[in-house]
Parts: sequence; structure tokens; C-alpha cells
Amino acid sequence: MVELKVNRLETGYSAEPVLKEIDMTVAEGDFVGVIGPNGCGKSTLLRAITGVLPAWNGEVSLGGRRIHQMSRTDISKIISVVPQRTQISFPFTVREVVEMGRTPYLGRFEAPDGDHADIVSTSMERVGVKNLQDRTVRELSGGEYQRMLIARALAQEPDLLLMDEATSHLDIGHRIEVMDLIKRLNREENLTVISIHHDLDLAARYCEEIVLMDGGRIRAYGEPMDVLTPPHLRAVYGIEAEVRRNRRDGTLYIVPIGDEENISPRDMGVHVICGGGTGTGVMKRLVNEGYRVSAGVLNAMDTDLETAGFLDVRSIVEAPFSPISESKMAESLEIIDEMDAVVMTPFPIGPGNLKNLELALCCAEKGKRVFVMDGEPMEERDHTGGEGTKLYRRILDHQCVRSVRNDRELFYILDELCGK
Amino acid sequence: MKAPFREHRFIFLILLLISLFIISILSLYIGSPAVRYPFSSVAGIVLSRIPLVGRLLPEYPDTPVNIVINVRMPRMLMGLITGCALAVSGVTMQGVFRNPLASPYILGVSAGGALGASVGIILGLGLFIIPALAFAVAITTTLIVFALGRINGRTDVPTLLLAGIAVGGFLGAITSYLKFIARETLQDIVFWTMGSLHGALWEQIYIVLPITIIVIVITMLFTRELNVLQAGEESAAHLGVDVERTKLILLSLSSMLAAVVVAFTGIIGFVGLIIPHITRILTGPDHRWLVPTSAVMGGIFLVSCDILVRLSGNIPVGVITGLFGAPFFLYLLLKSRGDTGW
Repeated sequence: MVELKVNRLETGYSAEPVLKEIDMTVAEGDFVGVIGPNGCGKSTLLRAITGVLPAWNGEVSLGGRRIHQMSRTDISKIISVVPQRTQISFPFTVREVVEMGRTPYLGRFEAPDGDHADIVSTSMERVGVKNLQDRTVRELSGGEYQRMLIARALAQEPDLLLMDEATSHLDIGHRIEVMDLIKRLNREENLTVISIHHDLDLAARYCEEIVLMDGGRIRAYGEPMDVLTPPHLRAVYGIEAEVRRNRRDGTLYIVPIGDEENISPRDMGVHVICGGGTGTGVMKRLVNEGYRVSAGVLNAMDTDLETAGFLDVRSIVEAPFSPISESKMAESLEIIDEMDAVVMTPFPIGPGNLKNLELALCCAEKGKRVFVMDGEPMEERDHTGGEGTKLYRRILDHQCVRSVRNDRELFYILDELCGK
Repeated sequence: MKAPFREHRFIFLILLLISLFIISILSLYIGSPAVRYPFSSVAGIVLSRIPLVGRLLPEYPDTPVNIVINVRMPRMLMGLITGCALAVSGVTMQGVFRNPLASPYILGVSAGGALGASVGIILGLGLFIIPALAFAVAITTTLIVFALGRINGRTDVPTLLLAGIAVGGFLGAITSYLKFIARETLQDIVFWTMGSLHGALWEQIYIVLPITIIVIVITMLFTRELNVLQAGEESAAHLGVDVERTKLILLSLSSMLAAVVVAFTGIIGFVGLIIPHITRILTGPDHRWLVPTSAVMGGIFLVSCDILVRLSGNIPVGVITGLFGAPFFLYLLLKSRGDTGW
């Protein structure tokens, strides 16, 4: 049982302390993420935990022993570190690098063979770099290189694995691959993990507990849902963000939103008839440029509705998987009366949302300004056997209806209208 | 070009040792062109020094015995030891500094040694006092550079490097001034700074040999740490290396090694800088092999160069090392197409 305890820790490099009053306890098998803006002391905390940086005040203890009284050999038998991409200066082979992980266990006259060689091989197998063992480090891709560093860390047979933004140079595929691997080791072998992240989504996805640091102090410490809150993100990163839950696995993710204060409201309202995600871009831009926006009719599970909800756009909602009803159509018309223009996005047309075309037609007949956005040809998005296409043509027949090629054209015209 | 002897490092080392032996014998045989003895006599003289075997051989005249045993042999050994020492010192410096421009002289050993020797020469001091002075100033210089490179209780590699350059430049200026006022002893100073194995004595070998052997053996004990240091100092610490202690030990040892040979042979350039690179290109980056292989390569190189010195009518050895070492190194450099291991 190796428990890491940080008690009233204060440390730094020169005159000013970088870390102040740090208290944290990490138990065996925990998966803790450390997040915070640049310069908040994340990496310094890691250096203090490994004892590389001496403590000015307070202490770090590992299984009851003070880390600064332990030898480097003893510490590195318990803690191993996966750094960010470091440049290994010479063309060592992958195997030679992973063998370095056995350093704390090797006597001065001992060669890394026998059991040591087995452990090196197993470590390489676990991260899938065994087949690369005779390659030199120069011949590796970023993902392979990072996995090699993890193999080296595993060869140390650690109880506690520290990762210092170990995945930040990797593409998303390798990032997930590496983090999945670490998670598996955490679950299956009870490896304690402390990982520093810049990527909040990644931290939220993999860590059971999160330490949010700011200005050398711990701002919040707990489960992701208690730490990753809009007020915390505002206070620490200075961003406005929504925290949402991934439908697939329930993990949290962060959606930064624009700075609302910069939006100057315009005296113009636009209703968006959309669906299936075709309205997301238009709605965002309308909101960001200060238009009053409404939307509908949208089905309850539609992604456009999610966007509308998040943008605070007033929407008319129909029950999921049900055809649009007369009453919802009427409701929409009422809203549209208050608006100056209607935008119809190129959504796919089926029997369920045919009424949305009728809605647009009504508006056109009333003489409302209607913008029909081009998209895929009608033959491809009409799933009603021609009825939709007929309605579509009738809409375009009206004087007050204007077809626009893309967002740029739409907003150019809207801008002009506002100017007048 | 992947290091061509990487897979056969042991065989390569054995071949080098055999070459070293052959070249050493050749060096004893060749001597200076003016005095030549038959190969059999030279071999006999050497063998007669070995207990038991010696009794089976005839008595040789005093003059050839004296020349082979007391002139050529210490000179050959001094070349061999100096080559080994500078090469090992260079490997260590490059490994600790993780810098291809590092050499045994990087911490001010050469600048200090040259100053000490210049003062000794100008004052007309004795045969053993000049090396002692050179050694003392070289070591003092290194200690000063060390002190300057220490920040917050740790040795900061870039600061150390720059401090070495600055202090070296300062001492170099003083030495230049001494040359300027030296007049009749100027030539001696210039010769000293170009390095020479001429006039090596057994007494010097008795000092240099044990120090060199001890330092190389200790360095060999730290080759794993040297390897791990290549992952970066912080990573090395996380892998269980006491980085500060290791740096301090290795840098002091290799400066000491360089200082002791510089004191007796002057500043023989190039060996400590180039031999580690050549060896790395040929055998790969593993210091467990790099240190012993460089040592043997350094020995071969310097003994060979000294043979050329004598054949060419005593051109300074520093000229020869550069003249022959540089093109060979350039050849390897170009052949490796930039993959020199750095």
C-alpha cells in the first residue's frame, strides 16, 4: 500500500514560491488528473512529488516515508515518470531505452539480463513496442516514441505513475490509445496514476479525481463534475464554457463559448427552419452577431435542438420521432410574426418534417423575407417521393424568397438589411 | 548509415586491441629515422625485460637498450596513455554535456595548463616543476569554472559550458601576453601549446599511468549513468540516477584526467574531440562500449600520429593529429549523412 501524501507543501525555484500550501492525498489505485493554466505550477508539483525539487516547507511522503529523505534509487522503484516528448540525444535502440527503466534495480556490476530482460520484454509487450525493439529512437513516430517512454516507465515496476502532459504531442488517435492503455493498467493492476493535462476533456474522460491548480495553489480537488464547473473555468482560465455530459459514456466535456459581452445586439430577428444539424452553423453565427434568433419546428432529439438549447435560442419542439403537428406549426407561425426574416437550411426532407416546408411556404405567401440556403440537390435529400421537391419549388416561386448559396452570402445580405 | 560495428562491438574492440599492440611495437621499432635497429634486436630488447624469458636471450649493447627502453618505450607509452586519457575524457565530457562540441578542454584545462606552463617556461623552471605548475593551474581553472557553473546547489550545464569558454578566453589572453613578452622562450611556449611526446620519461609514466587507469576504471563504473543521462537530466533523476553526484564525479574525473596528461604533453588537440565522435559513428551510442573502445582508438590514433611525427622530422604532434584526423573524421561525417548520433 503506497499512499502519496502532500502536506502543506511550499516550494519553487528562486525567490518566490511557485507552489503554496499544497495538500493532497492520493491512495493506491487512484487516477488523478492535474489541470490548470500555463504557469500554474502543475509541472512543479510533479517535480516536488518525485523529490527532484526540494521542499521549502511542508513535506511529501510516500507510504509514510518522507520523499526528500529517500534515495533516488528508492524513489524510482516506486514512482516513474512519463515526460512530454524529450529528446534522447543519441540513437539508442528502443530496447536500450526501455532497459534504462531497470536502472534502479541494477547493481553496478550487473547486466540487464535474466529477470531484468524479461521485465523489459513484458513492458514492451504491454504497450505494443516489442516489435520495434531493435529500431533506433530516431526511426519512431510520435506515438511509438511515447509508448516507448511508457514502456520504460513500466520497466521501473512503479506503484505510482506520473504523466507530465505525456500525450500532448500526439494526434487524437494515439492520444486515446495511450490513455486507454494507462486506464487499463490503472484498473487491472491497481497502478496509481497522476497525470497532468492541458486537455480538459481528456482529463474529464479518464481521471476519477481532478486537481485544479491556479497560481500555485489548489483551487479545487474532487470528482470531475465538482471540479469542472463553469464558475471554476471562468475563474481559473478566464473562459465562458459549458460543461456537458457525453451521451455515450457519461463523461464530461467542455464547450467554450464566445465572450457574450462583445456581442452588440442588432435590431433584427431571424427564424431558422432547420434540422439534422444543418442549422447549427447558421444559428451560432446569428447569435454571435447579435440577431434575435428562434428556431423550429425541431424534433426533441435533433442535434440542431441541442445547439439551440445551448445558444438559448427560443425553439418550437415536437415530441421525438413524431411528425410535426398542426399545433406546433401554428405556434411557429406566431413566433415568426415577430421576426424579420426566415432562413431555411438544406435539411433532409422526410414525411415527418414535410410540414417544415409548408411552414416556409406559409411565410412566403405572407410576404415574409425567406432565405433558402443551397445544399445537396433536392433529389438526394427528398425522401418523400417528390412531394417535398414540389413544395420546395413552390416556395422558390415567391418574390420575397431568395436563394442563397452559403453562409457568406446569407450574412452579407442580412448585414445590408440591418444597415438600412 | 547505421553504426557499422554496432552488432559486433566485442569483435571490433578485440581487433582494435590487436591493432594497438601492433602499432605500439612498430612505434618502438621505427623511432627516429636516424637511428634504426633491426626488428629482431628491438623485439629481443623488449622481451629481455620480461623476467624468466630475459635469461634465454643474449645480452644487447647498452646504447640500443637505452634507446629502446628509456627513450622509445616511455614515449610510446606516453602517446598511448595520452590518447586513451583524452579520448575517455572527451567521451565523458560530451556525454555529460550532451553536446558534440564538448572536449576534455572545455572546462579550462587547456587554458589553465598553457598559462601554468608559460609561466614555468618564462621563469626557466625545471623539468618536473613546469608540469606541476601546468597541472596546478589547470585544476584550479577547472575548479573556478565549476564554482561559476553552480546555481542553487546544482551544476547548470549551459552555464558551466559558457563559464568554461569565458574563463578560457581570459586565461588565453594572459598567455598571449606572456608570449608577447617571452622573447627567447617564445618558441618553447609555442611548442608546448602544440603538444609533444618528445622526451617522455619513465618517471612521468609512473605518475600518468596509474591515474589514467584508475580514472578510466571509475568512469567505466558510471557508463550506465552516462547512458541514462542521455534521456535528459530530469528523466535520469526519475530513473534513479543521482544526477548531481554523477555529474560532479564524472566531470572532476575527466578534467583531472585531461589535466594530468596536458601537464606532461602539452595541448594535443583534436584527439579528445574527434575520437569519441568517430567511435560513436562506428559502434553506436552505448557508453558501456563507447568508453573502452574510444580509449583504445585514442591510443592507436596518438601512437600512430607520433610515428608520423618522428618520420616527418618532428613536426609537432598537434599538427599531425589535425592533419590526418580531420580528413578521416570528415570522411566518416559525410558518409554517415548527418546521422552522427547527435
